[in-house]
Amino acid sequence: MSFQGFIIQLLSGLSVGMVIFLIAVGLSIIFGTLGVLNLSHGSLYMLGAYLCFWLSSTLSQFSGSFWWALFLAPVAVALFGGLMEVLLLRRIYEMEHLVQFLLTFALILIIGDLCKLGWGVDYHMVETPWPLNGPFILGQFIFPRYNIFLILSGPAIFVGLWSLIRYTRLGRVIRAVTYSREMASALGVNVPMVYTGVFMLGCGLAGLGGALVAPMSAVMPGMDMVVLVDCFIIVVIGGLGSLTGAFLGSIIFGLVHAFGILVAPRLAIAFGFILMIVVLIIRPWGLMGKPE
Amino acid sequence: MMELTLKRESSRIIAGLIVSFGLFAILPLFIGEGYVSLVNEMLILALAACALNLMLGFTGMVSFGPAGLYAVGAYTTALILIYTKIPFGIALIAGPVMAGLVSIVVGWFCVRLTQVYFALLTLAFSQIIHTIIFQWYGFTRGDDGIVEIPVPAFFHSITNYYYFSLVVVTICLCLLWRIVNSPFGKTLQAIRENPHRTEFVGIHVRRYRLSVFVLSGFFLGMAGSLYCGFNKNVFPNYADMMKSTEMLVVCLLGGIHTFLGPVVGSVVYMVLDKVITLYTEYWPLVLGLVIVGLVIFLSGGIVGFISEKIAVARQRDTG
Repeated sequence: MSFQGFIIQLLSGLSVGMVIFLIAVGLSIIFGTLGVLNLSHGSLYMLGAYLCFWLSSTLSQFSGSFWWALFLAPVAVALFGGLMEVLLLRRIYEMEHLVQFLLTFALILIIGDLCKLGWGVDYHMVETPWPLNGPFILGQFIFPRYNIFLILSGPAIFVGLWSLIRYTRLGRVIRAVTYSREMASALGVNVPMVYTGVFMLGCGLAGLGGALVAPMSAVMPGMDMVVLVDCFIIVVIGGLGSLTGAFLGSIIFGLVHAFGILVAPRLAIAFGFILMIVVLIIRPWGLMGKPE
Repeated sequence: MMELTLKRESSRIIAGLIVSFGLFAILPLFIGEGYVSLVNEMLILALAACALNLMLGFTGMVSFGPAGLYAVGAYTTALILIYTKIPFGIALIAGPVMAGLVSIVVGWFCVRLTQVYFALLTLAFSQIIHTIIFQWYGFTRGDDGIVEIPVPAFFHSITNYYYFSLVVVTICLCLLWRIVNSPFGKTLQAIRENPHRTEFVGIHVRRYRLSVFVLSGFFLGMAGSLYCGFNKNVFPNYADMMKSTEMLVVCLLGGIHTFLGPVVGSVVYMVLDKVITLYTEYWPLVLGLVIVGLVIFLSGGIVGFISEKIAVARQRDTG
């Protein structure tokens, strides 16, 4: 492979990895703090993509409609997630994992069908917005500008989240609740509020991921399950509940896909799972997670 | 005293099984062939769900990937029937045996982990099985599936095949019932309640987990093979996540801590499926709402709910 081909493969792997990072990190922090493996996380991503499509086409007479959609879609998904948490999830924290699984699975069905009801079963496209529509040219090297934007936005979000958790008061509260719910509660932290907040944050990130994906690939039913399974792989590789782990896992996942497809194109779908199995056997708690 | 109630309960269950076997046996006299086929599908689903429940309800191992082993059973039977001249009966037995062998390998990896990690690993393996079936065009025919599988002429009649699967499912359920109520089964329940204490008593928990994984895989494979003979076509989506969740939903719908819960669950599931799809194409939406209602209001499943009510009523009588 030429050096140029290598760089292009590397960049496309990274851009896939960075989008999926946004979704996986939400899943991971929700699990870390609330202890709930939210199966409907992929559906929230899909909802974000549909909302981005819908908003950018409804607002198309205004300039910069995509950017409005990119801002409003995650906010709407976060609000929807907040509603889900307050109305449903809150009732089942004390119950066994199986019940959480069932409830969040039911939400996959409900959200999936609501999207079908709202936007039909056909696929939709979102136009790549100015100034990101077009190639990035550097000498002989050509790459889509939008993908460069994605590669940059991933680390930006990661650094933002990391500093939020590490350095702010809110971050300390979240860490306290994650460490010991009872103790934090005894010290006067409003635990249910933190739960709702973290859940909304995670959902908002999934919505953002969906909105960012919309110009790159078709928005259609079924995109929720694909991304959900990929997210599982990433959080298992990185360690459930770990922010850095999700970031690392996403990069590894993106690169394995990008290069694996060159080596054995027909087995590409299985690479992620093989990676996951290897990690689970060597280090069941993931690369950056802590042993139980 | 304890043993006495257990015996009484056990004889009641056996009586129930005989009565329901009789009811199912005379069913085709009253209903059309379309419905017989529906009931047949329901029986097979019930067997798959009971096999899954051996892990789920009785050992406390949440598997996200039962469909993988189900598909191994179905594909083994299908492949034997189209590529060789081996008789149907042997092909049918080969399905669960193969599923059992695959579960030894898969289970060896999976039982090293517990809880969420176990669930995710089972999901990963079933997705790998799905990928293999989907991609291996030369052998499994990929997403075209295997169609028009040759079965003996006797089984071209829906009613004949119905009686056949009724017998097979009943035998399997009796075996599962035996397993659950054997000392082995009691140990499984002890593991479900508290794996650490069970380990301290001197029980090799991981070995028990592996054994139950293989047993459950065997019966899942049986259900798959049976379905292959029933449908005469097999497709890669037998191994996908929707199929796995269908089985999980059936178990939870009926109640996982009772032996017959999954059977009731499969009846309710099939009825809901058929009735709702008559009125709307948005069956998943309605199913989703039903599950939400179930989880919030009736978390012990239907059978759990009813037996709780009976227990309360009985207590009122005696007290």
